[in-house]
Amino acid sequence: MSDRRLGVFICHCGGNISDYVDVEKVRAEVEKDPDVVVARTTMFACSDASQEEIKAHIKEHDLDGIVVASCSPRLHLETFKGVAERAGMNPYCYSQANIREQCSWAHRNEMPQATDKAVRIIRSALAHTRLSEELSTIRVETTPRVVVIGAGMAGMVASLTLADMGLDVFLVEREAEVGGWTKRWGKLFPSERQGAELVKELHEKVKAQPKITLFTEAELVEKSGTVGDFTVTLRVKDKSNISLKVGAIIVATGFDPYQPAENEYGWGGDRVVTLRREVKTVAYIYCVGSRQSEDCGLEHPNQYCSRYCCSAAVHAGIKAVARDPELNQYHLYRDMRTYGKYELLYEKASHEGSVFVRFDEEAPPEVFPEGDKMIVKAADVLDAGEDIEIPADLVVLVTGMVPRKNDALIAALKIPTDGGGFFNEIHPKLRPVETAINGVFIAGASQGPKTLSESVASSLAAVAKGGALVMKGYVDLDPHVAVVDPDACTWCGKCAEACPYGAIEKVKEGDKEVARVIDALCKGGGPCVPACPEGALDLKGYTNGQIRSMIESMLKEAV
Amino acid sequence: MNQDVLIVGGGIAGMESALTLGDMGFKVLLVEKEGSVGGHMILLSKVFPTLDCASCISTPKMAATAHHPNVTVMTNTRVESIEKQPDGTFKVRLNRQVTSVNPAACTGCGECELVCTVAIPDEFNFDLAARRAAHIPFPQAVPKKAIISRYGSSPCSHTCPAGVKAHGYVSLVRAGKYEEAFKLHMEDAPLPGTLARACYAPCEGACTRGEAEGAVSIRQIKRFMVDRYYADHPEPDYGPPETLLDKKVAVVGSGPAGLSAAYQLARKGYPVTVFEADEESGGMLRYAIPAYRLPRDVVDRDIANITALGVEIRTGSPVKSVKALKDQGYDAVFLGVGTSEAWKLGVEGEDLEGVRDCIGFLKDVNTGKLRDLKGKTVAIIGGGNSAIDPARMAVRLGAAKVLIMYRRSRAEMPAHDWEVQGALDEGVQLETLKTPKRFLGENGRLTKIEYIKMRLGEPDDSGRRRPIPVDGSETEMNVDLAVLAIGLKPNTNPFAGELKENRNGTFTADPETLLTPVPGIFAGGDAVTGPSMIVNAIGQGKRAAFYIDRFLQGESLEGVTFDERLSEVDKQEVLSRGTLSKRERHNAPELTVAERIQGVEEIEGCFTEEEARTAANRCIDCGGCAECHECAETCPADAIDFDLRPEQTTEEVRSVIVSTGYKLFDPHHKEKYGFGKYPNVITAMQMDRLVAPTKPYNHTLRPSDGKSPDNIAFVLCTGSRDCTVGNHLCSRVCCMYSIKQAQLIMGALPMADITIYFMDIRAFGKGFEEFYQQAKGMGVNFVKGRVAEIEETEDQNLLVHYEDIEGGGGHTQAEHDLVVLSVGLLPNPDALRLFKDGALESDPYSYVREIDEDLLPAKTNLDGVFVAGTSSAIRDIPDTILHSGAAAAQTAAYLEKSGVQR
Repeated sequence: MSDRRLGVFICHCGGNISDYVDVEKVRAEVEKDPDVVVARTTMFACSDASQEEIKAHIKEHDLDGIVVASCSPRLHLETFKGVAERAGMNPYCYSQANIREQCSWAHRNEMPQATDKAVRIIRSALAHTRLSEELSTIRVETTPRVVVIGAGMAGMVASLTLADMGLDVFLVEREAEVGGWTKRWGKLFPSERQGAELVKELHEKVKAQPKITLFTEAELVEKSGTVGDFTVTLRVKDKSNISLKVGAIIVATGFDPYQPAENEYGWGGDRVVTLRREVKTVAYIYCVGSRQSEDCGLEHPNQYCSRYCCSAAVHAGIKAVARDPELNQYHLYRDMRTYGKYELLYEKASHEGSVFVRFDEEAPPEVFPEGDKMIVKAADVLDAGEDIEIPADLVVLVTGMVPRKNDALIAALKIPTDGGGFFNEIHPKLRPVETAINGVFIAGASQGPKTLSESVASSLAAVAKGGALVMKGYVDLDPHVAVVDPDACTWCGKCAEACPYGAIEKVKEGDKEVARVIDALCKGGGPCVPACPEGALDLKGYTNGQIRSMIESMLKEAV
Repeated sequence: MNQDVLIVGGGIAGMESALTLGDMGFKVLLVEKEGSVGGHMILLSKVFPTLDCASCISTPKMAATAHHPNVTVMTNTRVESIEKQPDGTFKVRLNRQVTSVNPAACTGCGECELVCTVAIPDEFNFDLAARRAAHIPFPQAVPKKAIISRYGSSPCSHTCPAGVKAHGYVSLVRAGKYEEAFKLHMEDAPLPGTLARACYAPCEGACTRGEAEGAVSIRQIKRFMVDRYYADHPEPDYGPPETLLDKKVAVVGSGPAGLSAAYQLARKGYPVTVFEADEESGGMLRYAIPAYRLPRDVVDRDIANITALGVEIRTGSPVKSVKALKDQGYDAVFLGVGTSEAWKLGVEGEDLEGVRDCIGFLKDVNTGKLRDLKGKTVAIIGGGNSAIDPARMAVRLGAAKVLIMYRRSRAEMPAHDWEVQGALDEGVQLETLKTPKRFLGENGRLTKIEYIKMRLGEPDDSGRRRPIPVDGSETEMNVDLAVLAIGLKPNTNPFAGELKENRNGTFTADPETLLTPVPGIFAGGDAVTGPSMIVNAIGQGKRAAFYIDRFLQGESLEGVTFDERLSEVDKQEVLSRGTLSKRERHNAPELTVAERIQGVEEIEGCFTEEEARTAANRCIDCGGCAECHECAETCPADAIDFDLRPEQTTEEVRSVIVSTGYKLFDPHHKEKYGFGKYPNVITAMQMDRLVAPTKPYNHTLRPSDGKSPDNIAFVLCTGSRDCTVGNHLCSRVCCMYSIKQAQLIMGALPMADITIYFMDIRAFGKGFEEFYQQAKGMGVNFVKGRVAEIEETEDQNLLVHYEDIEGGGGHTQAEHDLVVLSVGLLPNPDALRLFKDGALESDPYSYVREIDEDLLPAKTNLDGVFVAGTSSAIRDIPDTILHSGAAAAQTAAYLEKSGVQR
């Protein structure tokens, strides 16, 4: 028993929790804790009405610590911290007990055991809250400048919009020319404009915008500082490194086209790529390098769909027949993914004589030379599986998108990637352009395959989030930072070695050298704490005492 | 309140844009037409491909939007129009809809839902379950405020001249709340026993069910409600008001108009005295209406409702003049003297003994002065309802022959057809196309009528064909008694020189306030309107009481509206709701003709409780809310106010984001799939509700019999990629949501087989293809082939006809016990109506056009107007959120650059 006044709110999550955990029993059990003043269950703790109820309880019972037992803190930690704050309670005296992902969903057919586990999880959260201190956020002033990595379409549009919003922009391009892949493309769907023209139009605007500084043949090699106040280092070809202060970083590094393996559908032969004679018959083979099956034999198969290629190939077919109405075109596809309005392209191509042949994943087409033709052989699902042979003059492999090789950048920014190498957002719906690294945003096809317009839309979404961050003028950081007890510290430097962010410096404390934590740089990751041989470090919000108490509470018999 | 940005539509796109712009420091006004923000997304179970709970993702955004210091949220509000001003700002007209709930007072406790008597298909559950008319949209609603669904006045209530809430008491009877039903009636009309018997029930004439198998038996339901109440309460259970006001009111006449005025005024606390010239109170109710239609004890009990309030009725007290009353200290007077004088034909012999007017005749019969007409021949002259009563009374007094003589044909008779038929059934003869030319008598006593035959000419002003005498057709007929029932007028003699008369002999009074030209003197009822229905007179009395009260309180009689009602619902809209299933009308039992004519016993019987509730159950709740007022009585926060009306406001904003979302394809339009015809063909949105954590039932089941389905089919591309329904586009999300549902069903119903009929599986987004492959791995059966038609088997399973492409082609059929139509998404036409004259351009498919999708996504043709989410093209949730971010960025850039000032 302490002198704390704690509240516990247990969420049904519709039935996501209460179908598998006896929430009433859990409530009755945790209510026995002598510090718990109020324990309630609620249908949706995150709903506005429940938030208001929790707020009312905090005020009515003068609570100084609360636990909400619901889902993962990744979803709702900030939600309930906000509730505490609105009720006038210190938000760092809030703990979230995850009894959904870590309990109800994991134990769907074991209600007694899941109930028992939920009690333990909540007790441990109560232990954390019981020993919590009132903390205040660390306010960092933001720098009203943004660096955009990649001067393709997404990067250029992002830069122009940021500049329109009144922000200074550094636009960094690895190549000598701006425009990424788009500058090499002809007519684009659905706008029917030339890729090179679009690039030129944007490039002119970038050049004319005084708020944008464009660096070509430049790469970001280092990043330090914290959200809102980063220092990035650029390595520019034939120049010395440049150091820039920025508030946010937007990464729009694009994609690479899939490079077929030697002999994949005949790849490598001149008939596939090099044309020296008139083409009467074209065969398009779709899904090359995309939708590869898990057991296709490749070490890292591209299981994803590349999204843009069906529409692009159908569009190419329309362009081709416009040039030569006599042209025979065969599209060998798996599923025709001309989604949304792109369906109209598919309709048009069908009406204009393109022949669509559906092949089964298990029986991909074969391509082999015969005379001066390439024979494409396939079993047409749409025609009762009949084998067809197309004597093609040209075989077009409809290749997908793969992530760019960007190892240095990824290392410098520490952006998490998915298995294939596309950047990972925090949450595809809640935070689709944000990364686990605060202040670093991802845009365009670097996150996953996209069409041009989708890519630009996503880069503008990143602009919106990055812009909101720096326009506010400040950012409040969690005070979960390490602290050094100078009396116990003997400065051995092990903590500084353990810190990946360089957040620990050596200072003089009287005549003694001790470690000190630079709050704005510390991410609260905590590797310094166990590294200290003297036990001189602790982490605010997750103290050794709290962790120990949490473990003990969890080990106690549930009922 | 001037804002930087107006966002139209509070779905996920609108919320995302609002939050982003709010974070940047812009002031945002978010307008949502529904009662909660959250759009379609909050209705979903889980979302692909991560299988996150849609609630878990939506609710924090919803709450954050509502609490954001820079965001103002208006729900239940429609944007009527947006106009660009010369200074670059936009003028926005907003219309806050009627919810009948004061949002500031409502605490969202939900007590109103528990007492509401109206069940309405729950749109949150896509009509799978019912909700109440008083409701909170759904458990996670933001703001969590009650809404009373009022689509307009129900025709029955709207048409009632007395403003009786017919829908309300029918609904209360349906719910078994008989006392409450009676009390609701008493709010508007204090003579329920009379109305339950003798009202011509215009409510039933207006009833929407009348367009189908027959109107709801509203009057007979009232009869049950009143008889039951009176049986339990031989006397009123209330007394006079505790404190009386110091202004006195005199009411002249104790007929329905006078009684109604007295009742309403007494309830307000005025001391009221009713002056009645006759020996007993009730006017026509007692003296004219035969007891077989309205028993006298019912009249007595009805009048007790008024006298219990302390109203004094002075019978045998004719009023000599208005001035006399004023001299007696009355501050206001209501004249409800009715029409006691009969018009004469103006033919020879009219003053012979044996020629009478209908009022005098009925009065003599009803007071027992005239008891016997044995062996006599009685002719009633006239074709209105007032001709029927004397005819049928004459039958009961033993007349040998009773005839009604009318100058036009039966079709033109103003009397209700059922009244005419009742008379004919009882042996009354109809002599049409005849009119008396003179009455002939011997010794001053009537013996014969000489009548002339008529023929019908062109229609006259009343729309009825004009009767024209046939020259030379004069005929004589032997009669003993002739009763003239050709029209009535008030006795205006006592007030001659004080009040003015209309040409038809009635008093003149302002039709709205019923004020006569003399200050403080009001007149109403038949004395002003001419002969009419009882319920009309009651309405007049109520109206007069309203204005007399204002007059006595020194308030203006102008600029107020008495008994303002919502406009009437459109019956065709009601019928098109699809809530009407065939249920025949039943009537209360009646005496046989032989039984009837023995005396004056009441002809019509009363419903049993079961019959009354069955009859009430036929009501289809045209107006939504029945106005039974149970919620208002119950609300602990006193937040419900039925007088609230739509509120129009104007705002100025610097920019606009259109995020009005999409409409779902209505599968009724794909007739071959049998939606709406076969109960076990449902839409994917319904399936989403069935597998959601807040599902309407405890299990996933099929609608026809509640059985757990074990063989479920999904039909993709319902309403998409289909030129037969006019939508060539792909809806982008249906493949994926169907795969998601298939995965969720496998969790809920592990034994169920699931088949997905598809054209192409469009799993193109990040993680989508993997999600599709996962479903395949779980055992979902994917069949390539478009479904042509669905038929129902005897046990309500479904036969799905399709082209089995992978099986070698050819027409194949498969049986399933539940079919889910994966309906497509269509543009929401609301988006293009926001700006006048089509100023906001659309693409050829009626989506808002983005002028440069590649470089300036979200920008429309109008400077300062942007589009977010599915208003410009169908998008899944991740793409919608990205697009909303783009709209926010573009808007921010526009606001910074444009220089348009707030």
